[in-house]
Amino acid sequence: MKKITAGTLLLLASSSAFAVAPGGGGCGWGNALFEGQAGVAPHILAVTTNGTSGNNTFGMTSGTNGCSVSGKIGYSGKSMLASVMDEFSEDAAKGEGEALTAVSVAMGVQPEDRAKFAQLTHDNFNTLFPNQDVTAEQVYNSLQQVMKADAQLSKYAI
Amino acid sequence: MNIKITTWLNLAALFLSLYFVSFATNATENATGPDFPEHLPKHLLRDAGKNALWKNKEWLNLLHYKGDGDSYLSQVDDPRFFNAPNGKTSPQSELVASLKAFYSTDLSEPDQHPQCRFIARLHWLQKHLHDSLIQLPAVNCPQYNDWRKQVPGHKASLIFPAYHLNSPSSMFGHTLLRIDPADDAANSTWLSMAVNFGANIQASDNSISFAIKGLAGGYSGTFIVTPYFKKIKEYNREENRDIWEYPLNLTPSETEKMVQHLWELKGINFDYYFFDENCSYRLLELLEVARPSLTLTQQFGLTAIPIDTVRSIDQAGLVAGTLYRPSQATNINHLLEQLTDRQKSLVLQIARDTEVINTEEFKQTDPAKQSTMLDAAYRYLRFQQNDDGRTDTNAKNSFSLLQAINKAPDFNSPEAGYRAQQKPEKGHLSKRLDIIAGNNRVKNKSSGEETNREFAQLQFRMSFHSLDDNIDGFLEGAQINIGSISARAYKDEVQLQQLDFIDIFSLSPRNAFFQPLSWRVYTGLEQQFINGREHLTGHVTAGAGVAYTPWSRGYFYALATTRFESNSQFSRAVEPALGYSSGLLQHFSFGTTQFEFSGEAFLNNEIRQRVKLIHNFPLARNHSLQFLLNFQRQRNSDADNQAPNQNHYETSDAQISYRYFYH
Repeated sequence: MKKITAGTLLLLASSSAFAVAPGGGGCGWGNALFEGQAGVAPHILAVTTNGTSGNNTFGMTSGTNGCSVSGKIGYSGKSMLASVMDEFSEDAAKGEGEALTAVSVAMGVQPEDRAKFAQLTHDNFNTLFPNQDVTAEQVYNSLQQVMKADAQLSKYAI
Repeated sequence: MNIKITTWLNLAALFLSLYFVSFATNATENATGPDFPEHLPKHLLRDAGKNALWKNKEWLNLLHYKGDGDSYLSQVDDPRFFNAPNGKTSPQSELVASLKAFYSTDLSEPDQHPQCRFIARLHWLQKHLHDSLIQLPAVNCPQYNDWRKQVPGHKASLIFPAYHLNSPSSMFGHTLLRIDPADDAANSTWLSMAVNFGANIQASDNSISFAIKGLAGGYSGTFIVTPYFKKIKEYNREENRDIWEYPLNLTPSETEKMVQHLWELKGINFDYYFFDENCSYRLLELLEVARPSLTLTQQFGLTAIPIDTVRSIDQAGLVAGTLYRPSQATNINHLLEQLTDRQKSLVLQIARDTEVINTEEFKQTDPAKQSTMLDAAYRYLRFQQNDDGRTDTNAKNSFSLLQAINKAPDFNSPEAGYRAQQKPEKGHLSKRLDIIAGNNRVKNKSSGEETNREFAQLQFRMSFHSLDDNIDGFLEGAQINIGSISARAYKDEVQLQQLDFIDIFSLSPRNAFFQPLSWRVYTGLEQQFINGREHLTGHVTAGAGVAYTPWSRGYFYALATTRFESNSQFSRAVEPALGYSSGLLQHFSFGTTQFEFSGEAFLNNEIRQRVKLIHNFPLARNHSLQFLLNFQRQRNSDADNQAPNQNHYETSDAQISYRYFYH
């Protein structure tokens, strides 16, 4: 009985195909800003039950964002920035937010320096994001430059 | 369709053959593998047998056995998970085979060594057989050690992405777990790992094969571990679902056991069933591994509805707090609520053309409102991009708005000061029993003859929520009912009144910002008045249209409908009809009222028109009183009808129901 009713439910769901997992395939460093979830159709069928689009990862280093992280465990500051560039740009514009925190953690910025990190990205928004076509790699390099020039944060710059 | 079935059968055959091939390979290795030691430590097997260690609840949990003490069956459908050829059905053989496997001297691929693959099993057996499980070959597990650096596993949170606006197929919600490091407060939960059990759905599957496979267990389900920020993006931003986070009070060592076990499940397949052995059910099993004293899974036999599992986890005393992450759409609506109509209209203009922020009207607005408008416009652009993808125009506009936001003084995020939301787990329970008393009146329009009959009625609904049910904790305008049955007793007869397989009604209001479609689908059996009496008919009815909220918590809707009915009194087996359904749904502090006109005209000239008035008074979270008045006029003006005037009736029901929600 339960199987039949669920079948009706699923048959009614109309979408005919699944979206491919966002960001699947390539490395994100060349992504422009506002790439967002372009082309991701609503997961109408992903339902409660939540299919996983066949993108089988287990949080392994190589599978985290389609970029190889060359020997580093988890997210480097660079790969983290590439993964959340949209959110990072929004938080930098506003001067606060979880994307700023996540990138600063991935860059090894200690808790006592994170407010300064947020301030720095806010004050240097125009340097970090000169136009809408900037890539994550360029943003990352600019970020390194402004951090190097800052007395409190230069120790985190590479 | 035939092609689909054939493909499916082929796949099944392929799967079966793969299954047996790998099974056989596995069995051979284990039975005769040259790498097993000639002699296990002296007392190992004796000690393991002493207390029938394989009947220990923790062992049964680790292997996902369900059974009654005599016979067992593991819910894992993957031979790679077992060391014994009959491991799926024998906890004892599996325990003995695991002990032997840990002594394997084949260290050519250390990551494939049983000690590395079955970490939780190894640790558990070491704890219980510490005197005799000795002299194990030393194995280093590089992959596991790397993984644990990413998944330190100190504590865990239950995550509930709530119901999906205008996608009732996800109205049930979903659950996943998040594994946090010790110092997540000083760090970022974005970098924590989310543990998600889902079906492995191929991009090529269409909705038909998806449905069939989903029900028959044709999909395999696996655990996936991904960084939590990806889940935030997926649910908050792409699907616009609010997320509720429940930090759990698991201790570090309990969390450790769960994470070790998770590693054992890497890439391991379970058959996936949408209603019971689903995402939420598997998480309960993980929690039982973490804390063996829990009995969560046995509460869910027939269905494991995500919010019900949240409740049972809460009732088991595991929940230590609640956090709320509003979706992008919720944030946009929250920002818009703070603006006047004129300001809202400016937001729309800004989203279309960012030059509007240079106009005098915008500049002269209060700076705090300017921030709110910029934020709303930016978020709205991003929301739209979900559908449209990146275009030069929306990228340029988004960027201009970010620049403006960057310059705006004292920017405040909408998440701050968010109004208190009713927690979803505090909503009414999922099953419902109604006890109904009422009066049924029938009037023959041609003869003037009138009959009145009193009735008592009993109704059961398996799940989940109706528009007029107690609304606290639920998404407004979202109805999904599955498996509803009612029987009515008149003085002289008892009849099946209604059997709904499914009944979905999605009321999504339109405004200047959002233009969703509202729709309804329901199908089942119901009594219809025709030729002087009620007859049980089968039907599929569907409709689509629009809804608006002219005032707070009021939904005006109008839908065009179509109906296919199988009625013994019709000459065709299935008679099609066109119709409409239009009404007003209003939530008050004291309950919910619904007033609805509807009707349909069949191809055979059978015409029905109805007007319905409902009010539901919630008495308590799980109790309510519902009043219903329903009036229907039915006639058939078919020229072939021998006596058209003989088939013209008015029927009305007046009833009161006591509704009890339970689990």
